[in-house]
Amino acid sequence: MKLILNHVVKSFDKKEVLRGASFAFEKGKIYGLLGRNGSGKTTLFNCINEDLKIDNGSILLEENGMKRELCPDDIGYVLSTPVVPEFLTGREFLKFFLDINVKKIPDIKPIDEYFNFVKIGMEDRDRLLKDYSHGMKSKMQMLVSFIANPCILLLDEPLTSFDVVVADEMKRLLRQIKKDHIIIFSTHIMELALDLCDEIVILSGGVLENMEKNDLSNEAFKDKIIQALRKDEND
Amino acid sequence: MKMIDTFLMSFRLKNAYQTNGIIYSLKSIPVIKKLLPVSLYRSPGLKRLANFVSILWEIISTFLSKLLYLFIMIFLLKDHMKSSPANSFMHIFFFLTVAGVFLNTQIFDPTRDKYYAIFLMRMSARKYMLSNYFYFLLKIVVGFLPFTLLLGLLSGVPMVICLLMPLFVVSVKLVFTAFALHSYVRTGHAKNENKLNPVALIGIAASLVAAYLLPFLGYAMNGAIFLTLFVISAVMAVFSFSYVLKFREYRSICKELLTADSFVMNRKDMAARAVQKSLQTNIEIKATSSKSGYQYFNDLFVQRHSMLLTKSAKYITLISLTVLAFSITACFLIHEAKPVINGMMLTFLPYFLFVMYFINRGKVITQAMFMNCDHSMLTYRFYRQPRAILFLFTERLKSIIWINLMPASVIAFGLPLLLWLTGGTDNVLNYVLLFVSIVAMSVFFSVHNMVLYYLLQPYNIGLEIKNGTFSILNSFTYFVCYFAIGKKVPTLIFGTLISVFCIVYIAVALILAYRLAPKTFKLRE
Repeated sequence: MKLILNHVVKSFDKKEVLRGASFAFEKGKIYGLLGRNGSGKTTLFNCINEDLKIDNGSILLEENGMKRELCPDDIGYVLSTPVVPEFLTGREFLKFFLDINVKKIPDIKPIDEYFNFVKIGMEDRDRLLKDYSHGMKSKMQMLVSFIANPCILLLDEPLTSFDVVVADEMKRLLRQIKKDHIIIFSTHIMELALDLCDEIVILSGGVLENMEKNDLSNEAFKDKIIQALRKDEND
Repeated sequence: MKMIDTFLMSFRLKNAYQTNGIIYSLKSIPVIKKLLPVSLYRSPGLKRLANFVSILWEIISTFLSKLLYLFIMIFLLKDHMKSSPANSFMHIFFFLTVAGVFLNTQIFDPTRDKYYAIFLMRMSARKYMLSNYFYFLLKIVVGFLPFTLLLGLLSGVPMVICLLMPLFVVSVKLVFTAFALHSYVRTGHAKNENKLNPVALIGIAASLVAAYLLPFLGYAMNGAIFLTLFVISAVMAVFSFSYVLKFREYRSICKELLTADSFVMNRKDMAARAVQKSLQTNIEIKATSSKSGYQYFNDLFVQRHSMLLTKSAKYITLISLTVLAFSITACFLIHEAKPVINGMMLTFLPYFLFVMYFINRGKVITQAMFMNCDHSMLTYRFYRQPRAILFLFTERLKSIIWINLMPASVIAFGLPLLLWLTGGTDNVLNYVLLFVSIVAMSVFFSVHNMVLYYLLQPYNIGLEIKNGTFSILNSFTYFVCYFAIGKKVPTLIFGTLISVFCIVYIAVALILAYRLAPKTFKLRE
């Protein structure tokens, strides 16, 4: 399975943010999307998630050699700032989510199993989400993005808000589920990208570029990435 | 830099962002938005126009606010007093001015202008504050003078006093400011005028009571007393002026007033924050639901917010019942009350348009929906699917209509009952119309609020309204309802018209909502 971006163009008024971004993201890999502040990472995600209409180009999903348009169920999108309905408890939110997606989720498990999966403790499951910490809200948001089992997961700066232990848990979790998913992970923390991701893609000057590591040492690879990101300055 | 330069600079600064504000609000009105490009903020022609509008507004507001104030708060009411119109005019003016100093000192009002100028642009705090303060006083004199003359003379106030009235306001402001500055020196604490302390509240309440109750009972001051009080305040004002002028600690006052948290605390923001806070603290955990899916979701939402939604509706119901019980008792005890109430039932229905507007909880409910629910849920794609939006819209509409029908039903049954008890009417249709139009109005306001919310989704996370159309429609609704007050129209006519209008409106609004809400119900940047 592949997510194929073909010459995606998106501009706001006169500012062209994406200038013909093309790339093929494959299943089974975690892609680290690196870009400088304002380079358009979130815009790219919003375009893939169809929150924004693209001006030109196409975003398609290739399955068994057949290309088709994306549909809402294909994508799970985790935002950088976690947003959850504050008036529900964690358990109620999950119940609600399972209720309305009951047809789409093949094997619904008991709610507590989902909590176990993201390591949210027993004592927190029946508290209002408004009283959850930032990290726990993030976990909830990730959880509902994972449960429906979309084939594409877009994660916008997801680990920056976690403490080191939870960040480590989440990394394991992502590695655990990657074989069945296309995971794109945006960040501007290079160490995180190098540590977790199988491929580094940079968004610079409105286009996507794959960074081949080849035989480079980590240091040399970092330099190469920074050189590539610097190109933006000359635009 | 001279004080006048500081002032001109600060005026230009204020003007610059007011200009941008005007362009920004232009851009939030549909249709116009499409015509205007982003580069607008740079476009010299439009900038000049907005600048012109901004200055024009400064001039108009200087005069218009004073005119409205004098006209509504004093001129219209003076004839209802036992004291003579001239004395009432002077008397009310005097005490409202006293009440006003608590509410508006200019110096202790933490505004963004001050923050920008003093802390971001590093202008001299003293020069900035003083020059703007004098400008504020000047505006009072210039703005008040034509209207104290006009309305004062019309009320029979002697010309000398009319001429002195604006100076009186300035004197009282100066005296109060000097006191406030002095109290800052003594206590080291600057009182934000938007956070009223109990003393100020009592002061305001006492002044208001003195302003209206005394002349109503026939005890208003005459010209001689007004002049004496004026002279006293003017003498005090001379000393106060020199105190204000020599005062050195404006910067530290600003520092205290304009800290990150409080400088955004102008009245509007404060209200928004209070709402935001109360919305968030008023979630009650104790609630369960046996439903599923979106019904479960909505059910829990309503129950968790019962403090805001159902409880207040119950209070209003209770109050309506009490008023009804009183009126019924009055009918039996006081014989003269009967024809009065009977007449009211047959001609006062327009008044209930305002009452129904006032008791409708729709706005608070949509705010709560946004704050505690939609602003987060709308980021989830499944929640934005047309089916989900419309299903939840229907569920919510049912809840809102139901909540609002609680008090409405008391009124809807109460009015025909009162009509019947007070002697009835020849035309049976009156009973039906009273009932139907109250119910129709209640449903109308519920639908109106919900549909506006779904079609325009005006809020951002700070609960600031980011949609020009929404504000315009809201004010329009308010004014229509407000103007209905006191209009006497036979119930037969008004009841029929309003019922038909409500039913047509509800039908059209719902059709629009079902057609458009899937596209319009979204988050705003």
